[in-house]
Amino acid sequence: MRLRAGAVLLAATLALAPDVSRAQGGRARVLIVSGVAGEPQYADEFFKQATTMIDALKTRFGVPDSEIVYLAENPARDAARIKAASTKANIERELTALGAQSRTGDVLFVMLIGHGSGDGTTSKFAIPGPDITANDFARVLDGIGGPTIAFVNTSSASGGFIGTLSGPNRVIATATKSDMERNETRFANYFVQAYATDVADADKDGRVSVLEAFDYARREVARAYESENHLLTEHAQLDDNGDRKGTAAPDAKSGDGSLARRVFLGGRAGSVAAAAHAASSDPRVAALEREKDSIETKLDSLRRRKATMDSTAYEKALETLLVQLAEKNKAIREATGGRP
Amino acid sequence: MIRATASVYRIAVLLATVASVSCANDRPAWASQGAQDDPAQLKRAGELERSGKYDEAIGIYRELAAKDGPTAVASRRGLLRTLSETGKYADAEDAGRRFVAGAGGVELQNALGEVLRLRGKTAAAESAFKAAMTGRASDSLTARLNLDVLHFDRGAHAEALKDLDGFIDVYNSRRRSLTSEELMAVGTACRYLGVTNPQLFKDALKAYDEAIARDSTNQEAQLREVELFLDKYNSGEAKKTVAALLAKNPRHPRALLASARVAYFDGSGAAAEIVRKSLEVNPDAPAARAFLGSIYFDGEDYAASAKEAERALATDSTLVEGLSVLAASRYLQGDRAGFDALERRALAQNPKEADFFVNMAEAAARNRLYAQAVDFAREGVVADSTAWRAYGVLGMNQLRVGAMDEGRKNLDRAFAGDPYDVWIKNTLDLLDTFKDYKETASPRFRFVVDGKESELLSTYLRDLAEEAYDSLAARYQYKPQTPIRLEVYRSHADFSVRTVGLAGLGALGVSFGTTLAMDSPAARDAGDFNWGSTFWHELAHTFTLGASDHRVPRWLSEGLSVLEERRARKGWGADVTPEFLAAYKSGKLVKVSRMNDGFMRPAYPQQLIFSYYQASLVGELIERDFGQRAIVDMLNAYKTGATTEQVFQRVLKLSPEAFDAKFDAYLKERFGKLMAVIEPKDVRKDAMPRAPAVDGEYTSTLSQGIAALEMKNYDEAIKWLEKAKTLFPEDASAQGPYWLLAQAYKAKGNARAEANELTAMTLRNEDHYGANIELSSVLEQLGDSAGAAAALDRAMYISPYDPAQHARLAALFARTGNKRGAVRERQAIVALNPVDRAEALYQLALAYYEAGDGTSARREVLRALEDAPNFEKAQELLLRLQRGNRSGGGGD
Repeated sequence: MRLRAGAVLLAATLALAPDVSRAQGGRARVLIVSGVAGEPQYADEFFKQATTMIDALKTRFGVPDSEIVYLAENPARDAARIKAASTKANIERELTALGAQSRTGDVLFVMLIGHGSGDGTTSKFAIPGPDITANDFARVLDGIGGPTIAFVNTSSASGGFIGTLSGPNRVIATATKSDMERNETRFANYFVQAYATDVADADKDGRVSVLEAFDYARREVARAYESENHLLTEHAQLDDNGDRKGTAAPDAKSGDGSLARRVFLGGRAGSVAAAAHAASSDPRVAALEREKDSIETKLDSLRRRKATMDSTAYEKALETLLVQLAEKNKAIREATGGRP
Repeated sequence: MIRATASVYRIAVLLATVASVSCANDRPAWASQGAQDDPAQLKRAGELERSGKYDEAIGIYRELAAKDGPTAVASRRGLLRTLSETGKYADAEDAGRRFVAGAGGVELQNALGEVLRLRGKTAAAESAFKAAMTGRASDSLTARLNLDVLHFDRGAHAEALKDLDGFIDVYNSRRRSLTSEELMAVGTACRYLGVTNPQLFKDALKAYDEAIARDSTNQEAQLREVELFLDKYNSGEAKKTVAALLAKNPRHPRALLASARVAYFDGSGAAAEIVRKSLEVNPDAPAARAFLGSIYFDGEDYAASAKEAERALATDSTLVEGLSVLAASRYLQGDRAGFDALERRALAQNPKEADFFVNMAEAAARNRLYAQAVDFAREGVVADSTAWRAYGVLGMNQLRVGAMDEGRKNLDRAFAGDPYDVWIKNTLDLLDTFKDYKETASPRFRFVVDGKESELLSTYLRDLAEEAYDSLAARYQYKPQTPIRLEVYRSHADFSVRTVGLAGLGALGVSFGTTLAMDSPAARDAGDFNWGSTFWHELAHTFTLGASDHRVPRWLSEGLSVLEERRARKGWGADVTPEFLAAYKSGKLVKVSRMNDGFMRPAYPQQLIFSYYQASLVGELIERDFGQRAIVDMLNAYKTGATTEQVFQRVLKLSPEAFDAKFDAYLKERFGKLMAVIEPKDVRKDAMPRAPAVDGEYTSTLSQGIAALEMKNYDEAIKWLEKAKTLFPEDASAQGPYWLLAQAYKAKGNARAEANELTAMTLRNEDHYGANIELSSVLEQLGDSAGAAAALDRAMYISPYDPAQHARLAALFARTGNKRGAVRERQAIVALNPVDRAEALYQLALAYYEAGDGTSARREVLRALEDAPNFEKAQELLLRLQRGNRSGGGGD
């Protein structure tokens, strides 16, 4: 299902993103780095965020343990899960290794949890020993050719990473807009929640794209600040069109988001997508899937033409396609023994 | 609007001859030698004058003025000045005429001219100023300024400004040799020239500063600085400068007047008291009398206002402020002919008289006559196309009546002409944010709400507004023009700017008639206020204002609005409090016959709050004893221009004083039992005015209960709190017995008793969010879904921002068969822009489906599926709807 869905989207978005095929399917490899905590409360918080993310990826999205690397300030805290200390040398080594294993169509996901800093020219992430800079990451990532890279820096003052790491076939997300936003961030907490719970799957396809996770985290951060009557001191940004400029609200207008929308770290167990994928060897189901793909292609095309269409005509066409899709899904569920 | 008036500006140029000894050094050829100690005496007189010992100063000046010595000119000018300053205008004029008739009289022509101008004798003043100029008197530059100002005030703007422009040349060519008095004249010339170039106001300030630097005893220059600051909306600097001046001369009548104006500008109730101090020194000061008249006018005491204005005009028949205060009083008293005559008089003396109309517009706006304010301000700009303040007042009032585009245009013009007007700047800044607002509508309303919450609040407002309109239209037998525009502000500062042009207003809402503005629930912390009742309150004003053609006094309009809140929903609106009754028992409430004072000039901060409730009780009493029809009749009577006394006589057949007695009896009858358990304390006549603290049996009983509760001695707490509740069952505050009893019962695990207390509380208290949420949970546990839904429904009008509570309420409504309510709540969740938007849209579609609205259900499920095409539940609903369609049905 995931592969076929990728093919459909390839057709639909070819003109927009030449690298789209690489964002779909394939395997996800994950590097999670938690940095220097400074205080015990942060050490606990970073550990919880990292392990919650890892657990979610494994249990909810089926990412194998072998493809997740966790580096932390204090490996002794959980030797079973933390592979090594999050030093510069270890980070670069592990990232290089994961990159080497990845192929076109795979996703290499990097997540930084901790404190950051920056002076407008150099952006850093605080780790044991010398801090690692955005330039250090850029050097390593530039040596990785195949996979789509999703790099999420949830630390304070992380905004400067976008300008340095931005590039083709890369999704760069940061918790802040610039190096100047130096307060402790809340972004990581909500970004992890997006994967650990059912809250962020906005399109109900059983998977969470990086864009969905980013949108969820950004909105919940804003909501939290607003509910406490605090001024927002972190403005999360995302760049995936390689223009070195982040945007707070990725959409067609901003030009960002089209790649992140298609970057997944796995499909949720038990979803329609997973069931269909599992049963796709059945020729009857395969035929239904092809028909469904065709409807989805039309649907995607229709939605992209919405702004130029008469609203009544659009709604009529939308309803027709959505009814067809609903009927097709129902047929697939029945054919695969799912709930009718 | 609270703003310095134009007449401040005008009066400032008079009495320009400063109380300094500098003139003593001018020794004209005609002067003969006098006594050796005369200069010392003159110096002494100046010191006495500058310290406010006017009588003593006059005595010395008079003595010296009788001699033809070297001090003659300065002492004669000093005499005319001090006589005028203390209101002995006739004496001053007589003396001035004698002086100018004598040898070297030309030196006194300008001083005489100033006295004549103060008495409104403009033609004679003009002759005197000209004589001073042609005779090359030592103060001829000041005479030239006075003449220009006189011409300006007569409407010869071009001529006056052309000559005033020459003062800049004077400054540039003779700056170092100019006297303090001459620098002051340059400063005032720059103030007038500021109408053509606002940068010149800075030059005016610079010239005044130099005048003070040249002669630090020049109090007149300091006073002009105060007036300039006030004129340019800088009350902080004005306050500082006038305080310094009053520290030197605490009896300076015009400094006291300026101080009163600063207080008025800052919204302080002390203005009247300060201006009265000024009048103690000069009981006939026209500007002070007119200002006092405007304060009475604000209190809607038009008779007193007119009396003061007439007294001002008795001294200076040309004083524009006096004319406009009197005209406004006549207008509000329904004396159209009287108003017309005053208008003609103002225009006869100055065909370009914009200030008269600006003052009228502001007076009208202060009395909620916004449409008339627009008309008056428009006449102002017609009279003088450079009257920037008129454009500003026009624009502000156009915004109030909903003419947004025209209002903005005029504010832009005003701001271009006078960029110092902070009201206009703030309002223009606010208008810039309107691009983020969204307009939605119901049949008779337009809701202009920040886009972030437009959909959410409109979901509630649509029904509430239409219900309120029908209810109020039936009660007041009047239908306001529609659509009614409601603006809702997420920032209280924005609401405040919209209302008065400045941040810091304490109110929650305002009604300009058919344009309303209010705080959004987001503007304050949850529990600060009930936005539903606030809307109802403001809309009630729309009816009472409209039914009376905006003539209803504020107190009655407010009282009826509070009364309507109480009628709208159980628990909405103010109720009796121990503090209110303590204030009553200690005589700290205003009488009904003086009710407006409680709103316009509260004696202590809480009196305003008490007055709202008190006024609502007046409404209740009238309805009880005279019927609802009497209220309608009263509004109709006000519409004819009748005064409150006439309205009471005509409709209730009672004098206001007789009604006072009736109301007093009503309070005793209604609250007698409660009063018995309340005692005011700390009531000292010499203390700062404030509400009394509350003591008595109720307070002590409640205290016992609180103490026991704090000790977690719940049985003991319940005993005392139950008793307190019996003593004062109306106290549903967060510090009252219901809430505390609920805590005690909760701690004991008695859910039913807790629910009973919370139910009783929330049916009396309109803004306790936590109590409603807690009550809904407890009732849900007890299986009372309807009660739980009702509590949550109340909570939504306190704070509608928690999606989880909306989901609970939607489920409760669905469970209790309130399908429309379930739809509303599902709409609210969608409006809150939830992360899981597809789910929210699906749930809304489902609610529509269950309510039998297949069309809306289809629309919403399509929206859900547009976001999430493979959303299984939504697909199922879509297919169900399709089947229903095919079989000819809607929802199942």
